Amino acid sequence: MNDKRRRRLDVSGLIIALGLLVIAILLRRDAGHMPPPPAYARIGPEAATNVVALGLVVLGLATAYTAWRGAGVEPERADWGPVALITLAFVAVIAIIGLGGGFILASAVLFALTSRAFNRRALLVDFGVGLALGLGAYLVFAKLLTLTLPSGPLEHLF
Amino acid sequence: MEAFPSLLHGLSVAIQPMNLVFAIIGVFLGTAVGVLPGIGPALTVALLLPVTYKLDPGGSLIMFAGIYYGGMYGGSTTAILINTPGESASLATAIEGNKMAKAGRGGPALATSAIGSFVAGTIATLGIAFLAPWLVEVAINFGPADYFALMVLAFVTVSATFGASPLRGLTSLFIGLALGLVGIDELSGQARLHYGVPDLLDGIEVTTLAVGLFAVGEALYVASRHKGAPEKLEPVRGSLWMTREDWKRSWKPWLRGTAYGFPIGALPAGGAEIPTFLSYATEKRLAKHPEEFGHGAIEGVAGPEAANNASAAGTLVPLLTLGLPTSATAAMMLAGFQQYNLNPGPLLFAERPELVWGLIASLFIANTMLLVLNLPLVGLWVKLLAIPQHWLYAGILVFATMGTIAAKPSVVELSMLLVFGLMGFLMRRYDYPVAPVVIGLILGPMAEQQLRRALAISLGDPIALVESPLAAGLLGLSFLALIAPFVLKGLDRFKADED
Amino acid sequence: MVGTGGAARTRIKRRSLVVLAAAASMAFAGSLGLAGSASAQIAELKIMAPAAPGGGWDQTARAIQSALTTSGIVKGAQVTNVPGAGGIVGLAQFVNSGKGDGSLIMVNGLVMVGAILTNKSPVTLEQVTPIARLTAENQAIVVPANSPIKNAQDLVAALKADPAKVTWAGGSAGGTDHILVGLLAKAVGVDPTKINYIPFSGGGEALAAILGSKVTAGVSGYGEFEGQIKAGKLRLIGIAAPARVAYIDGPTLKEQGVDLELINWRSVVAPPGLTKEQTANLVSIIDKMAKSPAWQETLKAKGWDDAYLSGDAFGSFLKNEQVRIADVLKSIGLTQ
Repeated sequence: MNDKRRRRLDVSGLIIALGLLVIAILLRRDAGHMPPPPAYARIGPEAATNVVALGLVVLGLATAYTAWRGAGVEPERADWGPVALITLAFVAVIAIIGLGGGFILASAVLFALTSRAFNRRALLVDFGVGLALGLGAYLVFAKLLTLTLPSGPLEHLF
Repeated sequence: MEAFPSLLHGLSVAIQPMNLVFAIIGVFLGTAVGVLPGIGPALTVALLLPVTYKLDPGGSLIMFAGIYYGGMYGGSTTAILINTPGESASLATAIEGNKMAKAGRGGPALATSAIGSFVAGTIATLGIAFLAPWLVEVAINFGPADYFALMVLAFVTVSATFGASPLRGLTSLFIGLALGLVGIDELSGQARLHYGVPDLLDGIEVTTLAVGLFAVGEALYVASRHKGAPEKLEPVRGSLWMTREDWKRSWKPWLRGTAYGFPIGALPAGGAEIPTFLSYATEKRLAKHPEEFGHGAIEGVAGPEAANNASAAGTLVPLLTLGLPTSATAAMMLAGFQQYNLNPGPLLFAERPELVWGLIASLFIANTMLLVLNLPLVGLWVKLLAIPQHWLYAGILVFATMGTIAAKPSVVELSMLLVFGLMGFLMRRYDYPVAPVVIGLILGPMAEQQLRRALAISLGDPIALVESPLAAGLLGLSFLALIAPFVLKGLDRFKADED
Repeated sequence: MVGTGGAARTRIKRRSLVVLAAAASMAFAGSLGLAGSASAQIAELKIMAPAAPGGGWDQTARAIQSALTTSGIVKGAQVTNVPGAGGIVGLAQFVNSGKGDGSLIMVNGLVMVGAILTNKSPVTLEQVTPIARLTAENQAIVVPANSPIKNAQDLVAALKADPAKVTWAGGSAGGTDHILVGLLAKAVGVDPTKINYIPFSGGGEALAAILGSKVTAGVSGYGEFEGQIKAGKLRLIGIAAPARVAYIDGPTLKEQGVDLELINWRSVVAPPGLTKEQTANLVSIIDKMAKSPAWQETLKAKGWDDAYLSGDAFGSFLKNEQVRIADVLKSIGLTQ
């Protein structure tokens, strides 16, 4: 840790510390809304919330302190493109299932976009593979083993 | 001691060829559904129970046992191969097991898991046969204060999963504890931190958190680093099977894991998670090469897997002797019994011994079939890792989504999966361990409830927490475990001074 | 009488219309023939279980499914699980997206009435269309076999002496068991906010606490205690039924001077916005199901009591229960 480059302010550490303190405040506020503890328990539903909030405050301050001293390790450069793409894929899945598009279609979209995020350039082929995978999984798990999976137009064909 | 002949008789019934076929079908179906991330053994059994309805009682019990063991092994398989614990009890397995798989040692990891489960299951089955009446007396006298002490011990040992930095480990743990607060507080019925979302009232599903943090988080992390240095996975490096060395390092953890799992599983609120955590911590402490922990130590797979399996057999103790269904799994077993208009209770052992012994024998047979079916499949499972990376992770995400939505069909659940996935990604990126988050979510609410129950029963008198000798003993043990590292360090220095 | 239908009409279909016509009032019986072709023919009945697979509501839903299909009352039936928060997650989906759907029903019960209130659900049972009450379970109060409390009078005396010292083990806060203890306190004139009720998550855990004498008394469905009572490990103090039950060897609370009745019922309801014909059609389907041999066998196998009550009678029962439960939950301090 004597490396000079690491001595500078650790910004991500400070953001994490801030995040912990924000969570602590949210917990504290929620505990404030709780009714007084029931007759005999002494401690009610607010007690654990307060304890966790206190712990988070302590941890947040400790994190801030170490970040201030610059003890943080610089993470390697990340590629944000693929992360955004997979996030987008999940949002698409949620939208498709929420709007009744069904499991198979959602699987295909998720499969194709994730594969694209891993640098593969065959979107249509992967979409086809995803459809086949989703269909296979649907037939085996929903039809044969009677699991409930969200159905849409494609599922109603079977 | 008429237990032994009865067990043999049960075995002779269960071993008929047709029953063996049912056992294999059950194991196969159970594994197939159990490998879905997010679907644990209890849910697997619940989902597949209708399949067993058509059989005669004997065959149905055996298939039922097969599905159950298959479901449990399926969860371990995904934990090892794709770092996705399908259920909370295989969390500890994922920590070391996946590191082993990434180092090309997935074969031995799966083998030690299957053989360890078999060893634990066999010993625990004998345990049911001989110790059940005695053990159940102890179990019944375990009160909320004793449970609380047990949870404290579990909390103390959890630091074994923290990795290098205690600050980061504790931060992860507390985030888990905070997540554990969400939902209806069981003792007061008050809703905490739900922000008006009805889906949050039941709290955060452990499996959704685990699948999000592990599977989705890992996929995001690998994708974010893909361009720089594509990770090369070698499915098999060295032997596909367990080497002599692996056997030597596995057998003791199997036994110790069983010793944790069986008695704690027999406690009405013991569960499978605590023994797996305790086993993991113990193996880390006792290991000859503690530095291997976190990089794929076989002991860290062998112990928790045995503990998990033994605890499942342990839950049968209160079920068969008292008719207490003490876990989701035991409740499903009860449903299995009810197919024949039987309600397990204190009289079951006396009134229907053939059925009880039949069930115990079925578990044994199913356990054996699991080994027979899955050991040859280890090679096939490991081949999964040879799938091109873009398809492997795409497939993992499809099945993670499917498991989550089959367990709880709701858009909110899927959104949580994404949020936890992003959280897992950031935690990996900034070097925070993810396992303590899940542990916090599991242990936090348990500890809180038991503490408050104990206080309600004693009308708020905190002395009640140490009044029972068991509770006092467990708390003392926790205290020792807490200070032991410091004391040992001091001793080392002392010795060093002497030298 | 409805001979205008196509050749595809099955025998079962005809019978269903006869029952339907008899049940419906004469006023709209004439239009039935027309409406029948649109609504009475249900190709597939969707049954929602607002709970995870394996629980009581799920088992009920699956039992209805199998009774309906094995007796050929409907062509097909499918169960969907929408678990969450005592059923209110399922209820919200049922009311919002099921509006006007005459081929959809949902299983629910007493627990949902309580959960709606304690969880402040925006959707309530006022919005659904009552179809029928199907099953019931007797609620029982027990003590450990070595307890000095021998009967309901002893228990009431202990409760009156110091309500704090009588600890109760039962299911979730605001659930059936908690409601029973609240009603008991009210019935004997003890302040319901003073009861020391300790919720346990699973039936097994609560039972272990009672057997281990960690608590004074336990409350649950009689079935959970039956084996222990017969084995002499628990003493039955009383059941909350209106009258003695044939298969239960023990007194009611009522005959011991505690004016208290509570059964844990389960029922089926339909979505809001149904036409009269759609409602009558569903009532007739469930009516036939409840009388089918397949259903009667299921009741026996599962140990559920038949509590069949349909149509308007069930509607007013549901209203009464809602008022009563709201009142007791308020008095034990769970809702404002």
